[in-house]
Amino acid sequence: MFDLATVFEFTRDTVIFTVGITAVLASLGVILCSSPIYCALYLISHMICLALLFLLYNAEFLAAVQIIVYAGAVMILFLFIIALLGGKKEIQENSLERSIAFTFILTLAGELYLSATVGPTQQIEGEISPELFGTAKAIGLELYSKHLIAFELASALLLVAAVGVICLAKFSFAPLKRR
Amino acid sequence: MGQEFVLLISSSVFCIGACGFIIRKNPLIMFMSVELMLNSVNFLLIAYSSFLNSLDGQIFALIIMTVAAAEVVVGLAIILTIFRTRHEMDVDHINALKG
Repeated sequence: MFDLATVFEFTRDTVIFTVGITAVLASLGVILCSSPIYCALYLISHMICLALLFLLYNAEFLAAVQIIVYAGAVMILFLFIIALLGGKKEIQENSLERSIAFTFILTLAGELYLSATVGPTQQIEGEISPELFGTAKAIGLELYSKHLIAFELASALLLVAAVGVICLAKFSFAPLKRR
Repeated sequence: MGQEFVLLISSSVFCIGACGFIIRKNPLIMFMSVELMLNSVNFLLIAYSSFLNSLDGQIFALIIMTVAAAEVVVGLAIILTIFRTRHEMDVDHINALKG
């Protein structure tokens, strides 16, 4: 009758297909909506779809990070800024720049397609056991041993970004007097 | 699902993000398009780290997330500063560095 592994594979493929198509549609909504607040909401749904895809591809730690950092912190920041600046609707009109943009994007898509047709990648024998793959423990072991320099550089980057933002926000920006 | 599907989803989201960066005029939505592009690359790295059975792709995606968070914070602060001095939000009209 039904092999359990076959049923599992079929279900997984169906879920990946559905979530992937939803992610593409949500990203289309981001660039086609005229009101910034709807764009932000579409972007949140895109992030959540991507977190689901991360889970389906054995990256549970990064799925949690995606939800917390992107759908949580970054999008809340976006929504605050939109609420502060007032989400004005943008009039969309066809122009020369827009057709140039579409030509550029079509060329880019063609190039990506050509570079993607080099054939499937072979699996290499990793030292990570399958039940540990993608967990916080495996990520931590890898991050603190092999990629320590990248980790330290990332901490320096975050510090510099925090200092820069404080400098930008601290001084009063009354319109500068022209000489 | 095969590798072709992952490549298709990722490259189409990347192209949509690049298109949005070019055709939109609101700097906030341009930033959201940059986020779309970064996220599509993250997805590709994670899917291929699963195909290759190697964790390097996931570490790379984690570092990309850090860089993206720092970039968004600084970018939004600059947008807010521009809005406070100029009171408009159209990138076509912002053509002078001096306020």
